[in-house]
Amino acid sequence: MPQLTRRSFLAAMGATSLTAALAACGGGDSGAATQPASQADIDKAMTTPTELTFWTWVPDIEDEVALFTKKYPAIKVKVVNAGQGTPHYTKLRTALQAGSGAPDVVQIEFQYIPTFTVIDALLDLRPYGAATLKDEFVDWTWAQISGQNGEIWAIPQDTGPMGMLYRQDIFDQHGITVPSTWDEFAAAARTLHAADPNVYLTNFAANQAAAWHGLMWQAGAKPYVSTSKSDITIDVDGEVTRKLAKYWGGLAAEGVIGVETDFTDAWYTALNNGKYATWLTAAWGPVFLSGSAKATAGKWRAAPLPQWDSAKPSSGNWGGSTSAVIRSTKNPIAAARFAQFLNSDAESAKMFATKQFLYPPTTALLRDPSFVDQPLDFYGGQTVNKVFAEIGDTVNLDFQWPPFLDQVVTDFTETVGKSLTDRTDTVAALGQWQSRLTTFAKNQGFTVR
Amino acid sequence: MRTSRGAAGPLFVAPFLVLFALLFLAPLGYAAYLSLFQHKLIGGTVFVGLDNYVKAVADPQFLHGVLRVAAFFVLQVPVMLLLALLFALALDSGLTRLAKVVRLGIFVPYAVPSVIAALMWGYLYGPDYGPFAQLGRFFDVPVPRFLGDSWILGSIANIVTWEFVGYNMIILYAALRAIPKELYEAAAVDGAGAWRIAWSVKLPALRPALLLTLLFSVIGSFQLFNEPKLLHDLVPTVIDTAYTANFYAYSLAFTGQQVNYAATVSFLLGLVIVIVSYAVMLTANRRRAS
Amino acid sequence: MTRRSTPLTIVMVAALAYFLLPLVWLVIAATKSTQDLFTTFGLWFSRAPQLFTNIGTTVTHDGGVFAQWLLNTVSYAVVSALGAAFLAATAGYGFAKFSFRGHGVGFNLVIGAIMVPTTALAIPTYLLFSQAGLVNTPWAVILPSLINPLGLYLMRVYAQDAVPDSLIEAARIDGAGEARIFFGIALRLLAPGLVTVVLLTLVTTWNNYFLPLIMLNDPRLYPITVGLASWAAQAQNGGAGASSEMLPLVVTGSLLSIIPLVVAFLLLQRYWQSGLAAGAVKQ
Repeated sequence: MPQLTRRSFLAAMGATSLTAALAACGGGDSGAATQPASQADIDKAMTTPTELTFWTWVPDIEDEVALFTKKYPAIKVKVVNAGQGTPHYTKLRTALQAGSGAPDVVQIEFQYIPTFTVIDALLDLRPYGAATLKDEFVDWTWAQISGQNGEIWAIPQDTGPMGMLYRQDIFDQHGITVPSTWDEFAAAARTLHAADPNVYLTNFAANQAAAWHGLMWQAGAKPYVSTSKSDITIDVDGEVTRKLAKYWGGLAAEGVIGVETDFTDAWYTALNNGKYATWLTAAWGPVFLSGSAKATAGKWRAAPLPQWDSAKPSSGNWGGSTSAVIRSTKNPIAAARFAQFLNSDAESAKMFATKQFLYPPTTALLRDPSFVDQPLDFYGGQTVNKVFAEIGDTVNLDFQWPPFLDQVVTDFTETVGKSLTDRTDTVAALGQWQSRLTTFAKNQGFTVR
Repeated sequence: MRTSRGAAGPLFVAPFLVLFALLFLAPLGYAAYLSLFQHKLIGGTVFVGLDNYVKAVADPQFLHGVLRVAAFFVLQVPVMLLLALLFALALDSGLTRLAKVVRLGIFVPYAVPSVIAALMWGYLYGPDYGPFAQLGRFFDVPVPRFLGDSWILGSIANIVTWEFVGYNMIILYAALRAIPKELYEAAAVDGAGAWRIAWSVKLPALRPALLLTLLFSVIGSFQLFNEPKLLHDLVPTVIDTAYTANFYAYSLAFTGQQVNYAATVSFLLGLVIVIVSYAVMLTANRRRAS
Repeated sequence: MTRRSTPLTIVMVAALAYFLLPLVWLVIAATKSTQDLFTTFGLWFSRAPQLFTNIGTTVTHDGGVFAQWLLNTVSYAVVSALGAAFLAATAGYGFAKFSFRGHGVGFNLVIGAIMVPTTALAIPTYLLFSQAGLVNTPWAVILPSLINPLGLYLMRVYAQDAVPDSLIEAARIDGAGEARIFFGIALRLLAPGLVTVVLLTLVTTWNNYFLPLIMLNDPRLYPITVGLASWAAQAQNGGAGASSEMLPLVVTGSLLSIIPLVVAFLLLQRYWQSGLAAGAVKQ
């Protein structure tokens, strides 16, 4: 049929001419072989003068990089801060699309890994000895960086198991005990706000899809399940998530929690002025808070998240980064070894924890008394790291992320987030979120179950 | 008067036009080409002809974005141009003390990049710790929620007005300064007072300048992007990623990775702008003729 | 008219206060420490102003990158402005004084270009530039800024008015070549218009945010707008690596970055008037 032929001809023409400009990364041409690199190859690569480009936003990471370059002086590492979070990923994607300008090694947060593996952007690190590192990392972090066929896509750098930071003084003032279940939390929210209308038990940032996912994770939800690259089961409005939506939507509608955007001027000010009595946050939260809410020093404490089921304590994760290698790199061996060294070398890993205060994913540090038993003044001398280390042990193992996280986050903010700010039906908003994601996934060629 | 001097004319315009072709026409053509395809995460790039355009015309997010900038245009531009006109007339009349200071002060916001303008106004609008809210609480006077759903468009309009009144004012003021003295003398002979002079002498002379500022404002309003994008980070549930048509195109390209559909949306937006601009020009010329 | 109206003056001064209010906030905020930003009233100073400390921190942060950004902005803006003015002048002169096939179409095409939304061009330009290896270089920012359709329009109008045909004719009769006429005679007469285009392009390039944002990856190449936005993002994105300590830097940096342009405006006021008048009055 002539029409079909013309169509396919045009499609082929379009495809070939676009490939040059729109090539979604290097595909298979510059990917490394899946044969394990021999020790001889590795030694040769590590002693050949090479320059690696490393995109990361961790401050002062040059110190850890210096440890690597001291050991392997032939390799120079150029550290570039291309932005933090979304701008960084946007630039990375644009560079991959254009086929040039992408780095060799890149910082990628756990939740973004599938978004980049679906476009074949990351290099499988198994041929470069990464599999031997498995036991050095906490098991759920290893699960997060593992692919559907056993690939190792990245090396964990830091984590963010979720806990609760609370103001001891505000609790004491109003006779509130630390809530250990979500029911207790809701009751405390009502009590507190009734006693003092200027104070809220917590702020649930309507824009913070990451926190929402962390709570879904805690509740045992599995909103995104993929068994292969091209299929996905989207279940963001399942039974578990409806429970969450009813809970938080209810509290927002009652007006007993805050719903303002976090990490803004107004939010920082609110924390400093005692508007919120708790912050449900990740393991990087304590250090962050001590730098940003100095007016409240000494008044905070840490505790696990309230639980749905006291018999089976669990938690989720919010944030945390890894180091991954871009597939189109010209120096796969050097880049892979760099990523591994940076995050598994004992001295480097310890520096991340003590200098940049990143929460470690290595079992060694999490059992190291000098880290775990450290008292923090901001928290009245409490050993906060120990609290989070114990929380870390309760993070569910199998939580998958979708291969189009940006879309998920945007749609969340515009449906569920908006329902929280507007104090409208959050469960209905969940349905909207679900349908938006399903439509998008279908449009993008996924088989949606 | 133009003359044809062989290759001289084309040679003079060549540098500009060559760069124009490379930096503008080429990307534009490429964007047109892109808009005829669709790229899927699973399945790669596929030729779809005009399907993207059909989809865009029926896309509620696109249509809402266009309607919103149209509303913005109707709301903000008359206010801004009226203010610019009044300020220009006031300064030209010579009745104001400190005219030079006032003129510069009104113009200064134009020198401020929109990134910084959004930062400043974002703070001033704050419902808890912004000065307006604080003063309102202090004097027990209700203050609108500037960053809330009902006021946000007005708040954005305020920022844009703040940024550009000075620029438009200077254009009009310059036009006023260029009015020949003879016209004033003739009016004085006729016994006209200050208001009469403003109406019969100044306003007609301002016509071309007003048209210019109006056209720029059409284009600026319909292309509105910077201010909503920057405020979006502050209140992402109030300003969504399709708040204006241009922002929608940006989100599609950079967040949604739908470069092809983004190109389509941008083209359609450009078409809307062309139509509105011509409508405005035709109306103005018809008015002049009558 | 020497009689001054006090009510009108009061109204104008009130308007002035409105326009300067956010800038007043900026100046006051730049004197505060992070904690003071969160705990004191916005429109008045804190008890311990630290403007100079803030300036010091801003300028030395991250190896003095702020100064680098200022330098970048100046160089991008000046090169673009001078280049754009020259291109607009030659083309404006060509369109005004010569008739050749397609001059009408060419001119209208360029003017029509103002109507195209910049987002339409962003990604295609990026893709084309990366093929040419221009991405992440200053040229990625400068080249697109050299095309100023408004500048072309202004220069054509100015050339029509300020360069009398009789002068050109006389020079031709004397045997001068077209290039001699342009560079020797016309350019001098076009000077005020040129200055206007320089200033217009200067401001536009100085304040350009979107284009450098997508074209540049290396922070050392950022102009001040993108640089400050990246600092603001560091305060606002949460996660490890976020820090509210960036806020005073953002505020102080913003203040420092506005000063050069404002000073330039003050010094070059009269050129604005005459140049814009030409374009505004004649049609």
